[in-house]
Formats: sequence, C-alpha cells, structure tokens
Amino acid sequence: MKFTILRDDFLKPLNMVCGAVERKSTQPILSNVLLKAQDGTLQLTGTDLEIELVASAVLSQIEAPGQVTVPAKKLLDIIKSLPEGCDIQFELQAESAVIRSGRSRFSLSSLPAENYPNLDDWSAEFEFSLSRLSLRQLIESTQFSMANQDVRYYLNGLFFEVEGSTLRTVATDGHRLALDELTMSQTASSNKQIIVPRKGVLEVLRLLESDDEQVQFQIGKGHIRIVDTSFIFTSKLVDGRFPDYRRVLPRQGDKEVVASRELLKSAFVRASILSNEKFRGVRLNLNSGIHELTITANNPEQEQAEDVVELVQYVGGELEVGFNVGYLLDVLNTIRADEVKLTLSDSNSSALIESMDESQAMYVVMPMRL
Amino acid sequence: MRKIIHLDMDCFFAAVEMRDNPAYQNMPIAVGGQGRRSVLCTCNYPARQFGVRSAMPNHQALQLCPTLIILPIRMQDYRDVSKKVFSILHRYTPLVEVVSIDEAYLDVTNCPLNGGSATYIANAIRHDIYQETQLTASAGVAPNKFLAKIASDENKPNGQFVITPETLHEFVRTLPLEKIPGVGKATIEKLHQLGLYTGQDAIDYGETALTARFGKFGQLIFERAQGIDNREIVLYRERKSIGVEKTLIENIIGFPDCWQTLKSLTPELQRRIAQKKAFNRIKKLGVKIKFADFTQTTVEQQAVGLDMGVFQALLEKGLARDRTQAVRLIGIHVGLETINQEQQLRLPLEQTTSE
Repeated sequence: MKFTILRDDFLKPLNMVCGAVERKSTQPILSNVLLKAQDGTLQLTGTDLEIELVASAVLSQIEAPGQVTVPAKKLLDIIKSLPEGCDIQFELQAESAVIRSGRSRFSLSSLPAENYPNLDDWSAEFEFSLSRLSLRQLIESTQFSMANQDVRYYLNGLFFEVEGSTLRTVATDGHRLALDELTMSQTASSNKQIIVPRKGVLEVLRLLESDDEQVQFQIGKGHIRIVDTSFIFTSKLVDGRFPDYRRVLPRQGDKEVVASRELLKSAFVRASILSNEKFRGVRLNLNSGIHELTITANNPEQEQAEDVVELVQYVGGELEVGFNVGYLLDVLNTIRADEVKLTLSDSNSSALIESMDESQAMYVVMPMRL
Repeated sequence: MRKIIHLDMDCFFAAVEMRDNPAYQNMPIAVGGQGRRSVLCTCNYPARQFGVRSAMPNHQALQLCPTLIILPIRMQDYRDVSKKVFSILHRYTPLVEVVSIDEAYLDVTNCPLNGGSATYIANAIRHDIYQETQLTASAGVAPNKFLAKIASDENKPNGQFVITPETLHEFVRTLPLEKIPGVGKATIEKLHQLGLYTGQDAIDYGETALTARFGKFGQLIFERAQGIDNREIVLYRERKSIGVEKTLIENIIGFPDCWQTLKSLTPELQRRIAQKKAFNRIKKLGVKIKFADFTQTTVEQQAVGLDMGVFQALLEKGLARDRTQAVRLIGIHVGLETINQEQQLRLPLEQTTSE
C-alpha cells in the first residue's frame, strides 16, 4: 500500500472520521482509523461500534492499493502539524505505516484492516432527502434539551419521528423539552419513531454544512444513515421507548406574554449573574393589565438583581413563577425570530415558549420552586 | 457560652403503657413486636432490674425475665403524646431540635423565661410535661449538645443534671471516654489498650497522637475531652430516605421466595412515599438483606420513580453476595433528593413520577 496525497485533501476527511473514534477504548483497534486506497481515492472510516463515519479524499498518486488501520489521534496530529499545501507520502512497510513529507518522517504502528469492526448489515426501510440546512436546523433547534448520561438511557439522544410527510425531532432531559418539525417532499407509508444517540447527534452537527445541497436520510430497524457528498454517517439507534411528548405539551396556559427575544434574553442574562450559581433560579412576575415582566434573582449571599422588560403584549392575570434561567436562555438562544411568545398557567405548571415566526418549534420548560 | 437542654422522656413507650394501665406500674413490662423474632423497643425500670434492655430480642428478654409482659406497639398513641410534649417545648423556645419521638435538644441561650436560667427552664418544662401528660422526662443542661446529652442520663429517671461553665472542666476531666457519643465497643477497646480511660487521659495523649491513630474521629475525641462541641441546634431534619423492611417469621432461601417478600413490601412503601409527597424526589432505589448470621448487605441504584425491574436486579445482586445463607430480613427503600430552597420540577414524562 503506497500513495501520495495533498496534506489539505487529507486533513478534512480525516478530521471528520476521527470524531467517531473514542479516545479511550477497550479494544486497541477502535482507537484506529481504517484507510483504504483504491482507484485514485482514499476512503477513511472511524467507529466506536455505535456510530461509524466514512469520508473520502482524492489521491494525487497511487502506487499500490491496499488497506490498513493506524492510530487515529496520532495520525490526525501529524497531518495537522505538517505545513499547509505540502505533499504527503504514505507507505505500508511490513507492520509500520511510514509517512513522509519534506524532511519529516514518521513511522506509525498499524493493525490489519481485516480486524476493523463493521456495523452489522442492515437495510433502509424508509429513505428521503432534504437539504443540509433543513436537517441542521431541525437538529439544532432541539438537541440542546437532550439528557446527558441520564439513567433513563432513552433520553440521552434525539428522538426522530416520521409521521406522514412530517419529520419531527424531540429532545428532553426530564426538566424541559424541545420539539421541532419540517415537511418532507416524500410521504412515509408508515410512521417511524427512532432515537439517535447523543454522540451521533453532536457528530452530525459538527459535520453538516448549512447550505442547500441535499443529503439522504435512511432509516432502518436498528440504524440510521445520513449520506452527504462529503461523508457517510451511520449510527445504531437507542433501543428504548421515548416518552410520549404529547402528554407534556401544556394546553392549560391562560397567560400569554409576547416579547422581544433580544430584550428578554439580555434581561435574563443580567439577572442570572446574581442567581444561585448551582440552581440558577430566577423569579418572573406578571400583573394583569400591565405590559411588563419583572425578573428577579437572589443568591445565597443575599445579593439581588431586578430587571423589568417591556412586553409587546400581556394577556392574563397575576403570576409569580420561578425558572432555571439557563433553560430559558437555551431556548431564547435557539429561536431565531425577533419576537417570542410564552404561555403560562401557574407556578407549578410548565411554560410553553414559541417563536412568533412561521417556525413550528415548541419549547416546554418546567418551573422551579423558589 | 450557649445554654443547651437535652430532654429525654423516661422509657417513653413503656411509660405511656403504664400511665394508661396503672396495673403495669410495678410489673416488668416492655413494648415491642409480637413476633418470635422481634426485638424490644423499650422496657420499664422493673424489667431493667432483670437485665432486660431495649433492642434486646424478645426470646432473650424472656429468658432473663420470664414474667416480662411484652405489649404491642401503639405507635399512633405514642405519636399523639409526643406531639403534646413538643408543643410544650415550643412554648419555651422555637429552637427545638427533634432527635426522635421522645428526645430533643433546646437552645435556651436567649430564652427570657424563668429569669433566663436554663436550670429553671428545664425544671419548668419537666413540670409542664408531667402536668399535661402524666409522664416523666429527664433533662441535661450544659453549654453544648454532647454534654447536655450526657447530663440528661446522670439523674435518670425523672431528674436533671446541670453542667455549668464552671463545672464543665472537672466534669470532662473525669468523663469516661465511652460516654462520648460515637465511641463504641471497637473504639473504646483501642482507647483502653492505649491506657486512655478518661477525658484527661485523652488530653494528655495529645491531639496529634489521637489523630494519627483515629483520623478525624481522633480529633473529635480530643475536642469532646475538652468539653468542646460547636454543633448548632438543627431545626429541621430532612428526610433522606423512605423504607420498609420485614423480618421473616422463618428464614427463607432462594430468589423466588425473597422476590415474593419484596413485592409484598411495595404497597406499603408506595403508601409512605405518597404520604410524604416524595415521588418526585426519588433518586435511587435500594434493597437491604439481612442474612441468617445477622450480617447485612445493602445494594442501591440510581432511579427515577419506583421500578420493579430495578428492585429485581438489586435483589439478585444482593443475594449473590452470599448464596450460602438463608435470609432473615428483606427491606426496600428509596433515596430522596434533598429539598433545596430552589427545586427544579420535573416534566410528567412517566406515570410514577407524577403525584
């Protein structure tokens, strides 16, 4: 196996697939990337047995095709540190992968490609295409509410639901929930509900550009695949039942706040400075007939912040309710519209936050007892 | 210097029984579970003359005192009396720490009643308790909690003992080290091996040497030996767990029987959690197993809400720790999240987490 490649052609796909590789792994080969040189292209694969990333690069020259696995992190560091625009020669000599560029020479350990794990064979049951931007926005608008290392393992991921021509994502960590949806050009004959693991979701966001180019989205029984022109992402699905998000969408809200997203956000940022560092509670006060929202925060040092936001509109009675300011800011940072609507009912019931543009996204946040 | 009173009802459960049935007055009686394998909750002084003690297994107590009458536990009645007692305490100060159903600490440093004298306050409290419940209590008055606790034991029953800042030094100098709360059988043996018997011995031995030998606890012994205890009165003790357990009539062996027993405990656990409105605070589940030789093991796992699958896994894990032995007790419990002034509410995603 011997080929020559431009450093810059090598770096981008290598960087992509390394995202799947775990730093610390139980099997040594899982710290490696698989390199396959064939027909003028280099195919790179990284996996942690749960997700798999494949990308390819154009070779300048191929003297001998072949395949091998080498330590991912070290290879990435070497390629990264070589000067921009240089040529890199890669050659397998016995069990060593030798990398040369200019007057630099590296000899890396390798493990045989035959031992590199494959995800099990599977086939797509439903497949559709959408633009990179749409997929990116659909994921971005909800992923921040995913749980992280929760004992309810099915919350540590993003829920995708196909219902007719609607594609929906839902994420919840048990305290808040985010939901968004878009309309696909195809219509599914049967509904699909899947949970993509957290790490995979974050990887897709890392890799996906925001333009109009189309990607293929394939759903199988236990896997999904996203085929992009620059990478192929495959992930196992979380085997579990996602909670019924419909049950927690509030319907009782009788108090409606409409406000400038920017004004609201900056007031929450200011109040958060003097909220309890651990619990981050802020108090919201509303009064009937007054188009003002008063935000207050206290910390254990007895310091206090108070901020009053002029509202575009307030319909409803008197209310005092507490929230984790971090949860509110996450939502306000994700919504893109200029104005947002908060629907509330009482101090023990969830709030619904929506944007005032055409977006379908819904955000549910449970209050705090302060 | 603070003024702390430790108040302890005398043989509380047994005293309530004697009050309600004066015939028991001079007979040896005890209150406890009625099972063959139960232990006594408490016993009266006539019973103590036979060597009967609280927490003693019934059969052992009956060997020591064959005429012992073991009365069933009337918890609700004891609770009612206890409420009355605590309402009396609150007349004197709001700074009351509830230690148990029949025991409390009071901080009367700033109490203006009875001329501000803690000794008179303790007397008045005991008088009120007797007037209103016909039960006696003992009290210890001291500048801190640990000395107050030791003092309340000095003139028991129906008495009190005062350690003033002036007598404190002499009192702790001669204090047997086993009276320090936390110094149990194992520690006192080690202390005796080192030739340490009294507070003065511990002080002479030195803080460094004690710490080297007993770690943090050594430092605590050194402080107590000088009569120092800076712990404040804790007004509210937060419940950290809720549990139910059952000592079996016959030892059982094997998973199926243990699982049946465990399952039979869950309705009561659910009831208690509901009563405390604590479903939303469950953060872990645990199973306790006591084996035939009285060794016990506890296994716990994080969880949100009651989950029989988790209990099953925990039971299997716990039983696996000693497959050779029969089981005499099975308990299940839930660990609770602390209530913070700021408490994040949960979305009602699961049925079990909603109240």
